[in-house]
Formats: sequence, structure tokens, C-alpha cells
Amino acid sequence: MCLKQDASRVIRQADRYSQYADILLPLFRALQSYRLKNLVESYQAFEKSANAFTQEFRNWESAWALEALYVIAYETRILAERADSELASNGKTPEKLKGAGSFLMKVFGVLAGKGSKRVGALYVTCQLFKIYFKLGTVHLCKSVTRSIETARIFDFEEFPLRDKVTYMYYTGRLEVYNENFSAADHKLSYALSHCNPRKERNIRMILKYLIPVKLSIGILPKTLLLEKYNLTEYNNIVLALRRGDLRLLQRALHEHEDQFLRSGVYLVLEKLELQVYQRLLKKIYIIQKQKDQNKAHQIKLDLIVRALKWLEIDMDVDEVECIMSILIYKNLVKGYFAHKSKVVVLSKQDPFPRLTGKAVNS
Amino acid sequence: MATERPKPATEDVKMDLFEDDDEFEEFEIDQEWEAKEEGKEATQQWEDDWDDDDVNDDFSLQLKRELESNTEKK
Repeated sequence: MCLKQDASRVIRQADRYSQYADILLPLFRALQSYRLKNLVESYQAFEKSANAFTQEFRNWESAWALEALYVIAYETRILAERADSELASNGKTPEKLKGAGSFLMKVFGVLAGKGSKRVGALYVTCQLFKIYFKLGTVHLCKSVTRSIETARIFDFEEFPLRDKVTYMYYTGRLEVYNENFSAADHKLSYALSHCNPRKERNIRMILKYLIPVKLSIGILPKTLLLEKYNLTEYNNIVLALRRGDLRLLQRALHEHEDQFLRSGVYLVLEKLELQVYQRLLKKIYIIQKQKDQNKAHQIKLDLIVRALKWLEIDMDVDEVECIMSILIYKNLVKGYFAHKSKVVVLSKQDPFPRLTGKAVNS
Repeated sequence: MATERPKPATEDVKMDLFEDDDEFEEFEIDQEWEAKEEGKEATQQWEDDWDDDDVNDDFSLQLKRELESNTEKK
């Protein structure tokens, strides 16, 4: 407390620095409250100080204080999170993190214009992403990404590497939720190849989203990769795709259902089913071909029903017919359908087209 | 503080909603690294031509047995 009074006196004496009082006094108050473990008050005071600093920063012509602003943006978020858990444990509504989001949006506004300060805009964007993802308000990311991605005055590559990696990780996750797999692949692959190699946890997080994306465009991770980053929940899914084993796919999805739902990739993985059907049909085709080269391109639906029964999947001929039509429609199988004789007639040329980096048509 | 303990169960659920399990770890502000140095490993551990014609794995052999035993029954 003594410190606060002294500081206040000293600052007010020096009249021409009086604007710093608005920055420093609440900052001392924030520190004091923090020390007393009163986090809500600490946050409120800190935001006041941060706000005053941002006002000053706006007036400065150069971006000399950018690093200080980074620290402020980061601390605002972290302090708000702690204040929220204090509020929640007292039975009150946590609202500080939301407030921190609005404040950082203002900071973003100060940086996002033309000039030398713009280089800092991506750092604040990443802090905003962390807030929005935590609060489940990811739709708010849009206004920030639009400003970053449409700006002609500033090339994305000029931002610092650490911010580009974080930005690509979060926007990549957004693309996964929107099922834009080629954009998701591009962004997450960028994050993967540029991430600091010593940040293994971050690499693991990138892979957690990149793997489902790669699987849906027909690319498999090697076992070594899954093991190194402890992503073994994907082991059986990859194996199911390799084998054409529908039962294994269902089991793997079921076994890790909670995990996949939490990270939001469950629906993406569920759609792999069609690829697994394709693979199973291809295996049946190859087995037939080994026996009789000439008739191999005609597959009886009965045979598929039997294969599925063996995999403990109970389906009648009509249901199988329906699945086959979907495969043909989605261009996973080339051929046509002899409805009367209950036979799929496969094209003699490339009956099972590969995805080659593109998602299954939807 | 001790008097304010009573309803932990509901709080847990509530806080759970405010969670992102996969929050990206901060890179230190002055941390720098070579963009090209990484990747060699994680970016090369992928296969895009895995879809081969090999049917000699256990799964395929069992499938084959299954299909053939059934045709014989007919």
C-alpha cells in the first residue's frame, strides 16, 4: 500500500507524465490484489491499466512498445481466466474472459491498420482465438480472420513465425469444423512444418486434427508417427481403412467416442465408412480375380452380404444395394448396377478410383 | 472460503463447458527457430499410395476363406 501512495505522489509531481498515472496506479492495485489472491479485483484493475496503456500506444507513432503490448495482451487473458474460475467457485457467472475478449478486440483495432504496428496484429489475434475457443464462441473468429486475410497492405508471410504457426493451427481447426478439408489440410500442414520442433505438445495437437483431415482425403499416417506423438487412438482407424474392416472402424469409433466428440472430429471420422466399404469391395474384387479373371468385374450382392455378415454387420440385399449406389454416386466405385440379377458390374478400367488428395464428393 | 464449498458437482460441469482441451502452448515472445529445420520427420510420415492389391494379410485371407466356403455351400 505504501508503494502505491509513493508512486502516486511521484507521478503526480511530474505533471507532464501525468498520463502514466492512469497506467501505473491501477497496475499497482492489480499487483496488490493479486498478492491478496483477490483475482476478480486484480483483473479489473489490470484491465484499466491495460486500457490506459493502449490509449498511449495508439498515440505513439512507432511500434517501439509492441513487446510490452504483447505481454499485456497475454496477461489480460490469463488473469481473466483465473478471475473466472474464482467467480465460478463463488457461484457467480464467469464473465471476465468474455470481457478480456472485448478488450483485446480493441487492441486488435489499434494494430490492424496500416503502418509498423500491424506486425503485432497476429499475436493479438491468436490470443483472441484462445479466448473464443475456450468460451465456445468460435463464430467470433470470423471478423478477425477476415481482416487478416483480406488485407492487401500487409503480406501474411511478414508476421512473426510463432504467430503464423498458432494462427494456422486455429484457422485449420475452424476449417475442420466446416469440413473444408483441402483448406484444413493446407493450414494444418503449414502449422506442422513450421512449428518449433521442440514444442512436441503443439506438434501433437496439430496432428490430432491433421490426421482426420488426411484420412478423409485418402492419406494415411505411418505407425511411427502415431506412436511418437502418442496418438494411438487412430491406430485401429488406420488399420480399418487398410483392411476394409468395417467392424474395426465401428469399434474404434465407439472406443474413443468421447475423445473424438470432444475434439470435434467424430463426424469427420464417421464419414470414413464409405472409404472402408470401397476398400472391402476392392478386396472382394481382387479375391475373385485370382479365381476367375473373366468374371471378376461382376460382384454378386449376395457375396457382399456374406462378407458383411462375417464382419457381424447385418444387412440385407436391398441395404447393400443402397450402399453400392452411394459408392458409385460418390465416385468411389466406377460401374453400374444390374438390379434384376443383383449384381454390381464394375468398370474394367480403374474400378476403384483413388481420392488423390481430394475429399469424397458430398 | 470453507463455507462456500457446497455445490461442487454442478460447477464442474459448468467449467467443463469453458474448456478447450487443445489450447496451443504459447511460444515465448522472443523465441525463434529455423522454419525449415523441423518437419523432416512429422511432415514425411504419410502414405498416399497405400491402397495396394495385396490380399495376403490375415484379414484378406480370412475374408477369402469366408467367401469361398460360402460359394461351395451353394
